[in-house]
Amino acid sequence: MKIVIANGKHEADFVINMFKGQTKNLVVINSDKNFADYIVKNSKVPVFIGEPYKRFVLDDSGARDADIFIALGDRDTDNYAACMLAKKEFNIKKCICTVSNPKNVDIFKKLGIDSVISSTYLLANSIKSASSLEDVLQTLSIEEDKIVLTEIIVGDLYRISNQKIMDIDFPQNATISCIYREPHVIIPNGSTIIKPKDKLVIISTPSEQEKIIKFIQTKK
Amino acid sequence: MRNKVIIIGCGRLGANIAALSSEKGQNVLVIDRNLNAFDRLPESFAGYKINGDATDLSLLEEAYIRTAKEVIIATGDDNINLFLSHVASVIYEVPSIYVRIDDPELGALLNGLKIKAIYPFELSINKFNLMKGEEL
Repeated sequence: MKIVIANGKHEADFVINMFKGQTKNLVVINSDKNFADYIVKNSKVPVFIGEPYKRFVLDDSGARDADIFIALGDRDTDNYAACMLAKKEFNIKKCICTVSNPKNVDIFKKLGIDSVISSTYLLANSIKSASSLEDVLQTLSIEEDKIVLTEIIVGDLYRISNQKIMDIDFPQNATISCIYREPHVIIPNGSTIIKPKDKLVIISTPSEQEKIIKFIQTKK
Repeated sequence: MRNKVIIIGCGRLGANIAALSSEKGQNVLVIDRNLNAFDRLPESFAGYKINGDATDLSLLEEAYIRTAKEVIIATGDDNINLFLSHVASVIYEVPSIYVRIDDPELGALLNGLKIKAIYPFELSINKFNLMKGEEL
């Protein structure tokens, strides 16, 4: 697997060290000469000095046909240009772009960048899911937020506890994909009985998530 | 109705295009993040001036980009120009988009979109060749 890491400071340092043992084909591009020296010295990885949004830099650094391109620079529009160039002109399969303005997450995705990461955006989302409700441990979005996984622990007084799944009038567009009951993992079917303290892993659409949580937490 | 001309970047090029469009009676808005840049506009300029960062889409919306018939993008930064031209084309579907790009190699990223690019480098080299030709 060929991975290109373009610009960035401590984030780049961390990512480089994470991948250098796993892949032989690591291309590091950085426009800051001092930082490049530091990486070469500390991580023993060659660094190509240049701006990753210049065609000749991507050409000469050997970035063509890479599997993943990660842009970690400070300026959102520079990262955008580098990712676009990588994707459209250098046949790079997947581009990951970091942004400092969280509003750019949705826009960059709309314009064709596979994955856009903003620390503020992530922070806001984790605050949102952390504050959602008690006993809802965590939620995870997959496939560009089209599907969400929700973990909920069943309380003693919940209406669904000690009931067979087939007898529960479960909302549509959601299923219990697995139940964690210390120390077992159960893949449920209709005749499975939900017990108090079960950890349910529920797969649903984002629009249904709130309804599901409310439904499950309904008390007897 | 799409009736506005939006100019992003009030440098020499942007300011002159803004002045010309305003003289022709167009409904002109100029955006620049540097307030002093508006000094380049002539006294007679009758359009709107918006001070702010055009890469923040809420500013573009405030500048009525949804009702723009034409956008001219001429900031001093190629990557900002490229991004804004994609935004104007893909997200707001502005019928007519002009963008200044210094690095002609970035031009490939405009293929397939209805964006007209101005490359000062190519214009200069063409002019040079023309002048050379006249001398010979």
